[in-house]
Amino acid sequence: MNKTGFLYDKKYLLHDTGPYHPEVPARLKAIYSGIKDANLLSMLTLISASSADLKWIETVHERDYINRFKEACLAGKKIFDSQDNQICPETYDTALLAVGGILDTIDLIMKNKIDNAFCAVRPPGHHAEINKAMGFCYFNNVAIAARYLQKEWDIKKVGIVDFDVHHGNGTQHIFEQDPSVFYYSIHQHPSFGYPGTGREFEKGSGPGYEFTLNSPVLPDKGDSEYKKLFENNLFVAFKTFKPEVIIASTGFDAHVDDDMSNIKLSTEGFSWIMEKIVEMASSYSNGRLISVLEGGYSLKRLPELAKNHVEILLGTGTK
Amino acid sequence: MFVSQSMTRDVITIDKDANIFEAKDKMAKHRIRHLPIVAKDNRIIGIVSDRDIRSALPCSLLKDYDTGKAREKLLDFKIKDIMIIDPFTVSLSYTIQDALMLMQKTRVGAFPVVDEQGRIKGIISTRDLLRSFINVLGIEEPGTLLCIIVEEKIGQLKKIVDVITEENISFGSVLVARCWDEGKRAVFPYLLTKNVSRVKSKLKKMGYSLLDPTEWYIDDVS
Repeated sequence: MNKTGFLYDKKYLLHDTGPYHPEVPARLKAIYSGIKDANLLSMLTLISASSADLKWIETVHERDYINRFKEACLAGKKIFDSQDNQICPETYDTALLAVGGILDTIDLIMKNKIDNAFCAVRPPGHHAEINKAMGFCYFNNVAIAARYLQKEWDIKKVGIVDFDVHHGNGTQHIFEQDPSVFYYSIHQHPSFGYPGTGREFEKGSGPGYEFTLNSPVLPDKGDSEYKKLFENNLFVAFKTFKPEVIIASTGFDAHVDDDMSNIKLSTEGFSWIMEKIVEMASSYSNGRLISVLEGGYSLKRLPELAKNHVEILLGTGTK
Repeated sequence: MFVSQSMTRDVITIDKDANIFEAKDKMAKHRIRHLPIVAKDNRIIGIVSDRDIRSALPCSLLKDYDTGKAREKLLDFKIKDIMIIDPFTVSLSYTIQDALMLMQKTRVGAFPVVDEQGRIKGIISTRDLLRSFINVLGIEEPGTLLCIIVEEKIGQLKKIVDVITEENISFGSVLVARCWDEGKRAVFPYLLTKNVSRVKSKLKKMGYSLLDPTEWYIDDVS
């Protein structure tokens, strides 16, 4: 059995998106209850939130942007950068707590205190650009995590696997010229789903060319297409790249019962994906794997999906 | 939506007495496929395309086809020998739609854009039109595409627009297309948001059927 960390904190519920928004605190409550009710908490190393030092945020985001975000929250604005991004006075602090918790989790992994971890944080991050909030995301948690691994822990090659149903435009753009971070994303085809990027021909640029890989999936395709694309694209790419640490941008929104997409991935399909990511971590990165929550909006399905996710990280899940 | 707003203004031209290799190199350098030929007063007299160049040159698989003696011979040929004289042109007041229809009809890849005196003002190519279309579709901005099947009767679009507006969602574009089901239309709003679940459920409650946009493409709409 692996030593698995679980980052969760009630403080992550403080980011209030108002009525009629899918990215709600109840998502995290559902995830937490799924793990708790399956009696998994005692098997996990529990990690709580801590605020990130701004210097780490600045490894990815422009200072002007960070200030603009902070001021919007302090001024009591309801929206930041686009109608999608509903904020409250606590949003800025919560976003810092999300990053800080993830960085603490990385420390535990790098000090061999734990093997891997699931970071159930809000707000999510993979749409956030260097200087722009997008698609419910403010700080790009995963991108900052990758930079932290490189700068603080001298990791040379970070592999990111993004299986949220939406393309992680922010993460891609941040690393598209960087051959030290491989960004792989599988998502609903950009002609049918937000944010309209992540086409097959987007492969990075300059020295980062072919260190970005996108697998767009047409609506309705479900498990079989995901398996095929993972095997033909991701497995091949990581076999060559051999990441020293893997970060998963984990989204549960491709699920058949999640109305944010039409991909129709089954619960078993999600388990398969995670098993393969864990296998890749054990092949290439000494098991070092950090899963960071992005989307997933079906409150009915999140408990089970999160439970399975954690069991697979522990190595006690279905095989 | 006039051609004058979408055309390329800095037109790369070629002299009628230039040789074929000069035209070939110019096209390669600027990554273009058409070179207009203009008189001293800027009036258009011809156009040469990369296809004209290719058919004027020997097969590139032949050894030494563009060196030595073969090249010397070819240097004798001038652009005026191969150019299309009196090509199709469009005026500045043509709309994008005019240009599209003319392209479809003539199968020509680029039109010089001329003023009333026939002087060149720009060039509009398939690439310029593609750029305009990307712009019109709004697909360079992040958004989500819906497909709503509606009865073909007055007022349907208004109801849809009202619901989307109530949700405070901006439109990237709206396309309305024929549907295989007679008496119905497919409406494709491209919404500049990630958050479409509420608007989708509202539309469903109003009795509209929401289709997976791929299903519409797969069906042969004749």
